[in-house]
Amino acid sequence: MTSTQQAAPAPAAAPGPAPRTRRSRTRSSLGRLVLSRLRDAVIVQFLVVVTIFVIGFYVGDPVTAFAPPDATEEQLAQLRHSLGLDQPFWVQFARYLENLIQLDVGTSVWQQRPAMDAVWEVIGNTVLLAVLGAIAAAIFGVVGGVLAGTRPGSLTDRVINLIAVVSLSVASFWIGLLLIIIFAVRLDLVPTSGLYEWRSLILPVATLGFIHGGRICQVTRSVVLDEMSKPYVLVARSRGLPWRRLVARHILRNVAATVLTTAGWEFARMFGGSIYPIEVVFAWPGLGPLMTTAAHRHDFAIVEAAVLITGALVILVNLVVDVASHLLDRRLRPQ
Amino acid sequence: MDQTPAPPADPVPARRTPRLRRNPLRGRLWVLWVAVLGVIALWAVAGNLLAPMDPYAQLPAVRLLPPLARTEAGLHLLGTDALGRDLFSQIVVASRLTLLIGTCATLIGLAVGAVVGICAGYFGGWIDRVAMRLTEAQTAMPMFLFAILLMAVAGPSVANLIALLPTFIWPTVARVIRAETLRLRTEPFVVGAIALGANRRQVVFNHLLPNLTPRLAVLFVIDVGQIVLAEAGLSFLGAGVQEPDLTWGVLIAEGRPYLAVAWWLTVMPGLALAAAVLSVSMLSREMERRSQT
Repeated sequence: MTSTQQAAPAPAAAPGPAPRTRRSRTRSSLGRLVLSRLRDAVIVQFLVVVTIFVIGFYVGDPVTAFAPPDATEEQLAQLRHSLGLDQPFWVQFARYLENLIQLDVGTSVWQQRPAMDAVWEVIGNTVLLAVLGAIAAAIFGVVGGVLAGTRPGSLTDRVINLIAVVSLSVASFWIGLLLIIIFAVRLDLVPTSGLYEWRSLILPVATLGFIHGGRICQVTRSVVLDEMSKPYVLVARSRGLPWRRLVARHILRNVAATVLTTAGWEFARMFGGSIYPIEVVFAWPGLGPLMTTAAHRHDFAIVEAAVLITGALVILVNLVVDVASHLLDRRLRPQ
Repeated sequence: MDQTPAPPADPVPARRTPRLRRNPLRGRLWVLWVAVLGVIALWAVAGNLLAPMDPYAQLPAVRLLPPLARTEAGLHLLGTDALGRDLFSQIVVASRLTLLIGTCATLIGLAVGAVVGICAGYFGGWIDRVAMRLTEAQTAMPMFLFAILLMAVAGPSVANLIALLPTFIWPTVARVIRAETLRLRTEPFVVGAIALGANRRQVVFNHLLPNLTPRLAVLFVIDVGQIVLAEAGLSFLGAGVQEPDLTWGVLIAEGRPYLAVAWWLTVMPGLALAAAVLSVSMLSREMERRSQT
């Protein structure tokens, strides 16, 4: 068994570098990775902040939201002055950045409290749903991908492939609505929406799992397929290693890094967008409903806070995934 | 290892053999996808002529009729909505805006991505570094939330949507095109053209662009589906197309309150959306398969 394991991709025997240099190089490359990701994070967040500010500066007039509808032009001007909205662009921008550094994006007109508080209150629900959804997606993806990848060209393979393509081609919220119609309205098995009991988790998690499992499934299939053509599989097979054991012990272990990375990216992608329509569909008390209501009420502070926090979250998840895949890939690891 | 006899099932070689009784439809299924897309494209071009009824005509007497219901107005193929409007006609008419936004936004995204990618790949140096940093930075951005924010601030409209949606795709386009440009640059015909004194414009327009076109076509097919889905998502959340303009995403959102009493109002527009995107992604797989062999 050990012999088959060692047939797994070993670092190319580079002539020259001693173990010590290799280790130091690996470490510094990990450090460089983290640093470059953090630098990207700063660039992204800065771009977001600048775009938000510029658009708000030229388009939105918050005074009309604050002021009573019968306010005269003079009163509006006075209000603008008291809020500092009549100051030049750079002065306002500097003040905006100053507040932002203290994590203050302003007060929510709708909820009459700091916008950050409103976001912090519900973000836990969103993260919970995303974590469960990512687990469901990983299960669907890995099981499907291994089944398909170990039987290339079979009926199983084709059916799973079709399911994966379908999952990538449908609107996530539509799948949610479909599941509600079938399982909540027709069969009356689960509650339609909200967060009252554990059963209300089933449909949103299933929706997320289906939507995001497709890509994991495709990636798993292709790495499994790739892995199966490697010499160590042939060796193990010719030595009489049972098929199941070969898949469970060797193939799965060798594809784990790739699959985990993909699952991590899908997790990050949920925060990038797909989870919010699903939350709205299931009336899940998370960021999605909060943001859409806030956007309808022209309460930009909440939307802005949500964008900044989830942006940081996406970057953090991506960073963790990158570091994890770096550590999992034994070709990059110090020996 | 000795205690286990030869495994009964031998999945690897066994599955390779039955090539002969292969499904005769396999490899020809693309006709179906083209046909689906053709019908939808026809709806988009001549929707007002093809729709069996006026999609905006409200008939409160026939509200929420199930599919295939017959009234004096004619056959309601997919039923009627809460205001008695014919759902099939609405879907047909809504295809126009759906496809218009999808293709325009995708083309803009492709153009931006192609320009950035060619510049990065051809000129290299700091242009390349800045461009690649930007694409990396943008892929880390929660674009969907950002889109909701921008649409809320700038006001949801079709024009704003077409301006915003390309930001979803240009980074990937730029990366692919950059890689392809880097590869083409070292090809003998490009090197030769430069050696023969071709200027930059000639190299880019006469030599690079024609060779990038197939790649751009594949990217278009891949991305248009994603853009259409993103538009539907934004419209569903009320941050995209607004009534009375119709897209499939708007129709799904409209049907949602009647989920318990009129399932067809949400299912049918979504089915149209799924059929369109599925056809496109199946075609893109076919194109990839063909370009490989």
